[in-house]
Amino acid sequence: MNNKLINPTRASEIVRNSIAKRRAKDNRLKLYGRIAIGFAVCFLIFLFSSIFIKGYPGFFQYYVTLDINFDRERIDPQGDLSDNSLFNGEASKIVNEALFTIIDPKGRKAKKQAKKMVSSGKDVRLTNLVKSNPNLFGTISSVKFALDDDIDSFLRGYIKRETPESERRISDQIIKFVDKLDKEGRISYEFSDYILNGSASGNPEMAGIKGAFFGSILTLSVCLLIAFPLGVATAVYLEEVAKKNKITELIEVNINNLAAVPSVVFGIMGLAIFISIFGMPRSIPLVGGMVLALMTLPTIIISSRAAIRAVPPSVRDAAYGIGASKLQVIFHHVIPLAMPGMLTGTIIGMAQALGETAPLLMIGMVAFIVDVPNSVMDPGTVLPVQIFMWADFAERMFIQKTSAAIIILLGFLISMNAFAIYLRKKLERRW
Amino acid sequence: MINEENDFRKLDLTVGDVFSKDARLKARNVNVFYGNNKAIDNVTIDIGNKEVISFIGPSGCGKSTFLRCFNRMNDTIDTCRVEGKITLEDENIYDRKIDVVPLRARIGMVFQKPNPFPKSIYDNVAYGPRIHGLCENKDHLDGIVEQSLKRAGLWEEVNDRLLSAGTGLSGGQQQRLCIARAIAVSPEVILMDEPCSALDPIATAKIEELIHELGNEYSIVIVTHSMQQAARVSKRTAYFHLGKLIEVGKTKNIFTRPKHSQTEAYISGKIG
Ligand SMILES: Nc1ncnc2c1ncn2[C@@H]1O[C@H](COP(=O)(O)OP(=O)(O)OP(=O)(O)O)[C@@H](O)[C@H]1O
Ligand SMILES: [Mg+2]
Repeated sequence: MNNKLINPTRASEIVRNSIAKRRAKDNRLKLYGRIAIGFAVCFLIFLFSSIFIKGYPGFFQYYVTLDINFDRERIDPQGDLSDNSLFNGEASKIVNEALFTIIDPKGRKAKKQAKKMVSSGKDVRLTNLVKSNPNLFGTISSVKFALDDDIDSFLRGYIKRETPESERRISDQIIKFVDKLDKEGRISYEFSDYILNGSASGNPEMAGIKGAFFGSILTLSVCLLIAFPLGVATAVYLEEVAKKNKITELIEVNINNLAAVPSVVFGIMGLAIFISIFGMPRSIPLVGGMVLALMTLPTIIISSRAAIRAVPPSVRDAAYGIGASKLQVIFHHVIPLAMPGMLTGTIIGMAQALGETAPLLMIGMVAFIVDVPNSVMDPGTVLPVQIFMWADFAERMFIQKTSAAIIILLGFLISMNAFAIYLRKKLERRW
Repeated sequence: MINEENDFRKLDLTVGDVFSKDARLKARNVNVFYGNNKAIDNVTIDIGNKEVISFIGPSGCGKSTFLRCFNRMNDTIDTCRVEGKITLEDENIYDRKIDVVPLRARIGMVFQKPNPFPKSIYDNVAYGPRIHGLCENKDHLDGIVEQSLKRAGLWEEVNDRLLSAGTGLSGGQQQRLCIARAIAVSPEVILMDEPCSALDPIATAKIEELIHELGNEYSIVIVTHSMQQAARVSKRTAYFHLGKLIEVGKTKNIFTRPKHSQTEAYISGKIG
C-alpha cells in the first residue's frame, strides 16, 4: 500500500509556510470590506446632508406682520360667524388696507401690485382666526401673513435686485415696498404654517403636504390590509399545505417573476382592471392601495416563505407528534415563529409602496386635489406624487418645498422602519 | 466477517418470537418507501401491552423510519409511502377513516433531539391537553401539568420556574420536559427515538430510570444505539438490518445467545 498521506512534521511545516499568505488574503478582504462600507457611509452622509441642507429652508418662509382692525361689521356682516357670512365679508380688503397704511402705495397701478404682495390665502387666514377666537372682534391686533412666493424668493436672494426689471419676476415698485416693510421691522422669517397644514395649492407659499400625507397613510393602510393577509396566507399555503408538484413550481416561478415586474405595469393593470372593468373612481386611495398591494404581494410572499422555511422542523415534529392538526401547527407554531421575518418583508414592501409614483400616476392619483381625503373613497394624492408634481412647477419656492417634502417622506420611511425593528425585537423574544 | 451471500437467504424470515400474547400494536408486512427506495422491507412484529421494547441496529437500517410508522409521522414526509398494516387494538391505523390527530394523542413520541416548544415550561406540557380539550378548567390543567412533570421526574427541578422558557433548560431537562409533554395527553404508547443520544451519562441514567418506571403503565418503543441501554431498560429487543427485521427476542437472549449470525455479528461489534 503506498502511502499518499504526508508525514505530520512535513504537513505542519507546509501549513506554517502558507499561513502568512492566508493571513494576507484575510486582511485584504477585510480592507476591501471596509473600503466598501466607507464608500456607502460617505454616500449616505452626502445624500442626507444635501437633502437636509436643501430641504431645511423649505420648512420656513417669510411673513409680514400687519395691524388688523377686527371690525365685526365688515368681516362678519351677518354676525353669526357662518361660512356664508364670512365669505361675504371684506377680509381681504381689510388686510390690504392694513398693508397700505404701512407702504402707502400711490396710484391704481401701485395699489394693484401691492395687493398681490400678501399671499392670496390672507382672507382665509383672517376668517379662520376670528372663527377660532371671536374675542378678536373690536380689537386691533397684529397678525402674520405669508408673503407672496416671489417676494419670498427675493428675500432669500434667489431673485436678484441687480437683474434688470424686465427679466425679474417682481417689479422695482414691489422691491421698494418690501424695503419699506423691512425697514419698519414688519418682515420675519418663521417656521411655515403651510408646509405641514396646507395641501396642494397653486400658490407655492400656501402649498403643504397635509393632503398628500393623509393620502399616503390611507393608501398604505389599504395596501397593508390587502397585501399582508393575502401574502402570508399564500406563503403558508405554498410552504405548509400544498404538495410540491409542477403546479406549485409554476406558481413559485411566477411569483418570483412578478417581483421583478416594473411597478408601472401594475399601474396599467390597475387602470385596466379596477377602473375600466370594475368602474371604480380614479384618483382614490382605495384603488391606489389595491394597485400597490399587487405590487408588494410578491415581496411579502417571498420573504414570508423564507421566514416559514426558517422555522426549525423539530418544532413542527414536536407539534405533529403530540397530535396537533395542520391548522394548529400553522397557527400555534409556524406563524408566530415566522412572524418577525414576515413583518420584515412586509415593511420592506410597504417602504417600496410608500415611495412609489409611477403606478399611481397611471390611476390618476396625480390630480390636483386641495382637500385632505377623509376616506379611502375621496380623491387624493400621495407624498411621492406630490413631490413629483412640485418638482415640475416653475416657481422657485417649490424647489424648497420639494426638498422639505422629501425630508418628510424620508422621516415617514425611517419611522416606519424603526417601528418594524421595534416590532421584530418584541416578537423575536427568543426563549 | 460474515459471508453476505449465505446470510441473505436466511434474512427472509425474522428469527425469534415476533408475536406477543398481549399485543397492543401489531405491525404486519410493513414496507416503507422513500420515493423508490425501500427503507423497510416486510416487517412483522407485535408490541406488547405495558412492554418496553428496544429497536437496535446499524445506522441507516430503518429503525427511525419504522418507529415513525406507529404514529404516522411519516405522513409529514412527502416522498414517504407506507404499505402493510399496523393495528392499534385491532384497528388499522392506516385505514382511510383514521384521523391522525387522535391517533397521535394515543401514541406519543419523544424525539432524538430534545425539541421543546419555544414557550414556557408550563405551556409546553399544557399544550397537548389544551389542543385535545383534555382539561376542564385551569385547576385541572395545573394538576395535569404538575403530575406530568412529576412523572417525568422534572417537577422538583422546575416547580419554581414553570413560566420560564422550556428551551432554557439543560439538554437532559429538556428531554424530560418532552417526555412530560408526551405523558400529559395520557397516551397508551410512547415512541422514543434515541432519546438519550444528545445527553450526558447522568442525564441518560435519569431518563433510563424514568423509562423503567413508565414501562409499568405505558407501552414504550425505544430506538437506541447503545446496547447497554437496551439491556438496561427493555425486556424485548428487535434487531434491524438494512430495512429488515432480523431477530426479535428477550433482551437477555438477544445479547447472550443470538440465534441469527448477523445479530451476533452486530452485538459483538463486528458490524454497525
Ligand atoms: N426523509 C427521507 N427521505 C429519503 N430517504 C430517507 C429519509 N429518511 C430516511 N431515509 C432513508 O431511509 C433509510 C432508513 O433511515 P432511518 O433514519 O430510518 O435509519 P435509522 O436506523 O434510524 O438510522 P440512525 O440510527 O442513523 O438514526 C436510510 O437509508 C435513509 O437514507
Ligand atoms: Mg434514526
